[in-house]
Amino acid sequence: MSVRLRALAGYVLAAVTVAPLVWLLVVVLKPANELFDVALPSRLTLDNLLYVLTEVPIGRYMLNSAIVSVAVTVIALVLHSMAAYALARLRFPGRQVIFSMIVSTLLVSLPVILVPLFLVARQLGLLDTYAGLILPAIFHAFGIFLLRQYYLTIPRELEEAADLDGCGYFRRWWQVVVPLSRPVLASLSVLFFLANWNAFLWPLTATRDPELRMVQVGIATLQGQYGSAWNYVLAATLIAAVPTLIAFVLGQRRLVEAIKTSGLK
Amino acid sequence: MATMVDSSAPVTTPAGTGPPRWTRRRREALAGYAFVLPDLLGLLVFVGLPMVLAIGVSLFSVDGFGGYTFVGLDNFAQMAGDTQLWQSVRVTLTYMVTFVPIGFVVSLGLALLVRDHFPGVGLVRTMFFLPHVISLVVVGVVWQFLLTDKQGAVPALLRPFGLGDVSFLGNPALALGSLVVISIWFLMGYQMLILLGGLKDIPKEYEEAARVDGATAWQRFRYVIWPLLRPTSFFVLVNSTVGAVTGLQAFDLVYVLTKGGPAGSTSSVVFYIYQQAFTFNNYGYAAALTTAVVAFLVVATGVMFGATKGGRFDVG
Amino acid sequence: MSAFERVTRRSLLRGGAVMLGSAMATPLLSACGGGGAGGNAKELTFWNFYGPNPQADAQSKWFTDLVAAWNAGNEVKVKLHYLPVSEYLAGTALQTAFSAGEGPDIFLLSPGDFLRYHNGGVLTDLTPHLKPDQIADFADGVLDTRKVGEKVYGLPMEREPLAVYYSLDAFEQAKLSEGDIPKTWDQLLDVAAKLTTKDRFGMLFETIPGYYQNFTWYPFMWMAGGSAVPDNGGPGFNAPGVHGALKLWQDAITSKVAPRKPQGDGAGNAPANLGSGYVAMQQSGIWSVSELAQQKKDFKYGVFPLPVPDGGTYTTDIGGWAFVANAKGANPEAAAKFIAWALGATDAEGVERGRQWNTVVKTNLPARKSVEAAATSAGAFDTPALKVFLERVVPGGRAEPRYTPEVYKAVSDAIQATQLGGVDPAQAAAEAASKIDTFLKGYKGAAML
Repeated sequence: MSVRLRALAGYVLAAVTVAPLVWLLVVVLKPANELFDVALPSRLTLDNLLYVLTEVPIGRYMLNSAIVSVAVTVIALVLHSMAAYALARLRFPGRQVIFSMIVSTLLVSLPVILVPLFLVARQLGLLDTYAGLILPAIFHAFGIFLLRQYYLTIPRELEEAADLDGCGYFRRWWQVVVPLSRPVLASLSVLFFLANWNAFLWPLTATRDPELRMVQVGIATLQGQYGSAWNYVLAATLIAAVPTLIAFVLGQRRLVEAIKTSGLK
Repeated sequence: MATMVDSSAPVTTPAGTGPPRWTRRRREALAGYAFVLPDLLGLLVFVGLPMVLAIGVSLFSVDGFGGYTFVGLDNFAQMAGDTQLWQSVRVTLTYMVTFVPIGFVVSLGLALLVRDHFPGVGLVRTMFFLPHVISLVVVGVVWQFLLTDKQGAVPALLRPFGLGDVSFLGNPALALGSLVVISIWFLMGYQMLILLGGLKDIPKEYEEAARVDGATAWQRFRYVIWPLLRPTSFFVLVNSTVGAVTGLQAFDLVYVLTKGGPAGSTSSVVFYIYQQAFTFNNYGYAAALTTAVVAFLVVATGVMFGATKGGRFDVG
Repeated sequence: MSAFERVTRRSLLRGGAVMLGSAMATPLLSACGGGGAGGNAKELTFWNFYGPNPQADAQSKWFTDLVAAWNAGNEVKVKLHYLPVSEYLAGTALQTAFSAGEGPDIFLLSPGDFLRYHNGGVLTDLTPHLKPDQIADFADGVLDTRKVGEKVYGLPMEREPLAVYYSLDAFEQAKLSEGDIPKTWDQLLDVAAKLTTKDRFGMLFETIPGYYQNFTWYPFMWMAGGSAVPDNGGPGFNAPGVHGALKLWQDAITSKVAPRKPQGDGAGNAPANLGSGYVAMQQSGIWSVSELAQQKKDFKYGVFPLPVPDGGTYTTDIGGWAFVANAKGANPEAAAKFIAWALGATDAEGVERGRQWNTVVKTNLPARKSVEAAATSAGAFDTPALKVFLERVVPGGRAEPRYTPEVYKAVSDAIQATQLGGVDPAQAAAEAASKIDTFLKGYKGAAML
């Protein structure tokens, strides 16, 4: 295929791919009575966005999502990095078994274990708490696995230099390994933030207190509540998508790298 | 910190064992356990424990008011005659055998399209990836709007072709297909990126050599790219199969778009379990179904590991 | 550091063992648990889908005022907990709370869900807190589906009958007049076909599975002579009447005069469907009168009673929510007293409260005779739509039935399979009937009405 033909195909397909999202943006700026017209707005209006920002507790939803997403991301990065360092570098009996166990959990997704996880969370008193939203979201083998693969590539000599300085393992990890893995930690932080901001099923299951509602659940309930007002529902979805778009734009390069390498052996 | 370790060393060293080397190894092992422990414990409590608990609860009938009655294997026996369960198994399988291959072909096509440079190729890649950044809930709401019967943008655009009255989400014959298309739209950019990573690792010279030998584009793909891309393809396919079976994408979409309807046509197994637990409060039955799905995944994984000689795709 | 690690490891292992052990024992522990029954807490939670809502509308205010009035004169306070209607009706919050032994002290319950909670032993008998004249004030039959034997377990706030709403503009565009208002099922499909255009459906029946869909379908079943459970040796669910009602809904879909998906949260939402121009006729309840007035002020519509099949007898389904008290709540005694006061008080204030709810902040038919008299003399039923409801829709109506979740589910599956899945009505009815029969053989709970 010639470059021009490929370019043309690329442009057309890309345009078709983003068309629904562009349309979302257009519709949100339309007056309410033109929503279903497949045409450009007769005039642009911010009414829909302003209504949602003032009448719907979407700020609260976004705050909850931000608290949970940031907390999960930070805690997960610290714990996963420690575990991955140990699994990649430290020798201890059972390491291989532990690693295999951790990797095998990759096969089990949240929807599958949702019911018993809910029962566990209930027994631990985690329902309707921030801890209940945060804790179960932290532990996922993907990050551990990816970090371990990365740590295997760090030259041992760098660590050994630290060893000669008399550093304990904690300081080795903190002062040598963590700084060296900043790129991969940055990639993962974008990934984790997005995953948690976009999380729906667990927040839906683990909370019923409106004060703890996270943004995706908030939108799903708006769909029922403002059933007759698509303009408000769509405006809310657009607002909820803004932070993910920002995170994506800021971390695009890192994110792409992380995803590309995740497919490599 | 080092001194602390040294001072405690004599206490932890049993009498008669060699001095420094032994201690060092022990020290490393202890550090290893300590570093792994928080994550391991977390995974144990929030992933392992639920799987074990599912087995326990599956032996009970739960009444929705916190009352448990031991019923042995009744919940498992009930599955055989549960027509809706088998309907949901069919839905899951149909979703899997359409979503996985079609999604893969589309993603691979896109990856090949944007592999080499053309003006704006970076932007085009980003645009393909964009749907994946948006949450599935937003994706669901947007498509719900676009597919509104008669009035939505999609029916409006299809009206000139006589398809203006098609109900994409309301017709059982079409609803699952619509979900597959939306899932692919959501996931293709992600899979494209992984495949791009694989494509980049194929040395250009191989393809050049084939071109010089007069191989057509298809032959170059079939005999050069495809064999070398196999590990990456395998990873993508395994990932999307696991995702399809465990409802990674489908659950949120089903919840927002169809709630399992119309007439159960989009009720996947995981969605059915969700309903059994949270709509009908049959926690016991839901736990039994969970156990069955986990058992299926374990067996399937075992088979796959065997077939791939230890899952080389996965563990480096 | 190694000392630290040693301690950590040991204690964590022990902690892990305890956690594992306790989790394994969860089911057994829960079996003995069951909430603090018969306590005397000083605060009661009241779950509802009206207030205080974010919009702070009139219905929300009625609830907050009600609670404020109670709290001003009583030691045991009531605290409102609002859930959006979509979550309360289709959601899982209430059931999940009960399954965790944390059900609210007071909550709203529809007849469709009555038996689940009654048979689960969580409803408090309100009779000790009601005087005979208070019970007698409730309109005939209104309390039946909230009673087991002579004990009253819930006080209804309202009566909500179903009818058909139609758009005057759509009728005009299709050159139809008041004389074309359908009276039979055949006419209904016929008129619906005439009203169907490229961007509008003729008629809307609920298509989302749930208690509400069953509720709206039952009158068609009754009118054709069917019933969900065998009454007095009747034939049960697999009968011609049932087949006919299933077929009507199926025909409406297959002839493309009715949509497969309603707008908004469902076919009980008139502003989102009828008001938006998505449909020209819509089956809905009396609540739509006030919703249309509030959300689609200038929308012109009419109301007519549900059409009747050839040879059938007219009826409709009269729903309505009741306040109930959780028998395993923090203070069931006080909760019951609150309910008796809120909805049963016969003093002027109590009647006025009922009138406000039923005819001012919301449109219903009152559940109590005294309230209906007060509302009528205040001219509440003078508007054309409500006049139709009062004079033509309600007479011959029947209270929303109470079935167990198992029966509800069998019926729901049959409706879904025929309406949307294209299954033959006789086959779907036979399958449902066999499920219902099997269930009834082992059923020991309160009577299904």
